[in-house]
Amino acid sequence: MKKLLALVLVVMLVFSMAACSKKTEEPATSESGASEQPAEKSGKITIWAWDPNFNIAIMNEAKARYQKDNPKVEIEIVDIAKGDLEQKLHTNLASGVTEGLPDIVLIEDYNAQKYLQSYPGSFADLTNKVKHSDFLNYKVGLMTVAGKVYGVPFDTGASGFYYRSDYLEQAGYKAEDLNNITWDKFIEIGKAVKEKTGKKMLGFGLDDGGLMRVMLQSTGKWYFDEQGNINLANNDALKAAVKAYKDIVDAGIIKPTSGWNEWVAAFNGGDTAAVVTGVWITGSIKAEASQSGLWKVAPTPRLDLAGAVNASNLGGSSWYVLEKSKNKEVAIDFLNKIYAGDNDFYQKILIDRGAVGSYIPAQNGASYSNEDTFFGGQKVYSDFSTWMKQIPSINYGLYTYEADTAIFSVMPDVYSGALTIDAAMKKAEEQLKNQIGQ
Amino acid sequence: MAGGTNKKSFINVQNRYGWFFVSIAIVLLGVFLLYPIFHSLYLSTTSSKGIVQKFVGITNYTRLFKDQMFLIALKNTFIFFIIQVPIMLLLGLVLASILNNKSVKFRGVFRTAIFLPAVTSLVAYTVLFKMMFGLDGFINTMLLNLHIIREPIPWLLDPFWAKVTVIIALTWRWTGYNMVFYLSGMQNIPDDLYEAAEIDGANKIQQFFYITIPMLKPIIVFTSIMSTIGTLQLFDEPMNLSQGGVTGSTTGPGNSLLTLSVYIYNLCFKFMPNFGYAATVSYVIVFIVAMLAIVQFKLAGDKK
Repeated sequence: MKKLLALVLVVMLVFSMAACSKKTEEPATSESGASEQPAEKSGKITIWAWDPNFNIAIMNEAKARYQKDNPKVEIEIVDIAKGDLEQKLHTNLASGVTEGLPDIVLIEDYNAQKYLQSYPGSFADLTNKVKHSDFLNYKVGLMTVAGKVYGVPFDTGASGFYYRSDYLEQAGYKAEDLNNITWDKFIEIGKAVKEKTGKKMLGFGLDDGGLMRVMLQSTGKWYFDEQGNINLANNDALKAAVKAYKDIVDAGIIKPTSGWNEWVAAFNGGDTAAVVTGVWITGSIKAEASQSGLWKVAPTPRLDLAGAVNASNLGGSSWYVLEKSKNKEVAIDFLNKIYAGDNDFYQKILIDRGAVGSYIPAQNGASYSNEDTFFGGQKVYSDFSTWMKQIPSINYGLYTYEADTAIFSVMPDVYSGALTIDAAMKKAEEQLKNQIGQ
Repeated sequence: MAGGTNKKSFINVQNRYGWFFVSIAIVLLGVFLLYPIFHSLYLSTTSSKGIVQKFVGITNYTRLFKDQMFLIALKNTFIFFIIQVPIMLLLGLVLASILNNKSVKFRGVFRTAIFLPAVTSLVAYTVLFKMMFGLDGFINTMLLNLHIIREPIPWLLDPFWAKVTVIIALTWRWTGYNMVFYLSGMQNIPDDLYEAAEIDGANKIQQFFYITIPMLKPIIVFTSIMSTIGTLQLFDEPMNLSQGGVTGSTTGPGNSLLTLSVYIYNLCFKFMPNFGYAATVSYVIVFIVAMLAIVQFKLAGDKK
């Protein structure tokens, strides 16, 4: 009887193994079939990205340009929400199943090192395949692991201080008063605006660490030191940023918002006078056509610390090619031709979408010196490309979001005064250390 | 086997078929149930950066006690559990006994209306609640216009009020669901019990406490265990209500909405992907659910 049972189990096992191996064979055959003819540039590449108004629209433009010269290449662009995209990528990479993965994927800069180090061998090494010296230094640094460069840099999140010139003039401030100011001055202006116009200065998420990262990067410091060790409790730049957060809240110059929609609604609806964030917000600001001519952009305020500059960064992302991609060569060629070679393309996406690429040769293009009527004729993009070059280069490391979470779990106590900033940062550091097990 | 009688070989044939039919189920069970359970147990003894895995033994479990973020998640989950479940079950019980009263008009309409939230999608209703409970949302506008409050309540912007919002949302979504269980239970309580009680002079409230509740005990135990499991696995509501930060990553103001399930998600997908540690946290949930279920059975005095 036992023999029979064993027999049945063996049969079942063989069956299931046959089924498994069959599955894994399929991609292998088609892979070799495709790589035999890369010279002709044909095949299909799939691209994952988020934001239909920005990344997807820009990719569609790139697709049209590439297909003009390579009509045999089929390009499928899949629009997936950012959170879902990250989740899908994690599960696929962790399971080792490559079938469901795209050929090219968009990854946010804060997450780049995390993916590269967590899934070694999953992303194609593009060192010497793409001319990385044409891109901004800080972007290339974020995609380098052990001397190898793994991606093609895309947009920068160079930050600016967008403001409603009509509200600020009413409060008695001209454009030249807003150049290279500190956050203390910003708060003073905010108070004046509130007094004279009744409007709040900023739409502000009390649990949103975005602005804190803007403040931090302008000082060249981060939550971690260069070696990747946690640096919260004794980080003067961070403490200054936390103090600025508290001062901004205490001054009563904010309209509290929760989430993207409320935040955008605050400035689109004319409730707030300013936005300090990455250049990618331009599209959302311009979406409210009735405010055309009322907006202007000044350099990002800085913390009152030695070494702090009036330029910073928030977000930005880059393109990565999957190592197991069936049409890896085509995918790399596509990125090379368009994102690392097509000057016109960058001019077009700048005008259409407000996308400021990190491709240096494009920044001498005509569109960068365009006067934008929405911003009262200001040459905003030439300003942004000037500030962009001053952004201090930082290694975000692996745990930016962990640090953000740890800090913002003590922030309610900082706002209420229950904890001093020193004590709060000590607590956050303790929390972060235990969480990531350092 | 070879030298058996006819009868024996018949039994053998029967046994063979028996084993064959059972084996399919056993293999499926093994592959899809037992293997994941044991593999995740193994995973919980590793620490990983994506696919870079290393064996760490029970370090993950000792690490839990020092991990403030885990303790916050545990605390939040228990606050939801301890406050929300009794409110919801009591409300469900009261509504069920009102709607079980044959003299109430339009019972069918009320029953449907109260049960209806239970069929809505978790994400859809959460998004709706997020809009309604915004600073300029419907709830604040209404309360202001009725002069019940002077300042808008920072529903989703303050750690305390964020929890209140989740509790309100959960109660709205699940009360009707539990009420239906109670209603069907009450229909099985014989009317003569109430008649006898009335003759003995028991009023409605006494009837509720001395007849309805004892008769419903098995169902109350069932709903409380289901609600316990549900609350400990709470994910959709805090996740969607707190997609707060434009570029931030806390779950609700000051992590006030961080639950164990959300923490598992964060460990896998938002933070450095540490599937090993995430498996450890999920085993903690299993352990707590098992413990609470045992306690509830003991309290209910169920000897089975």
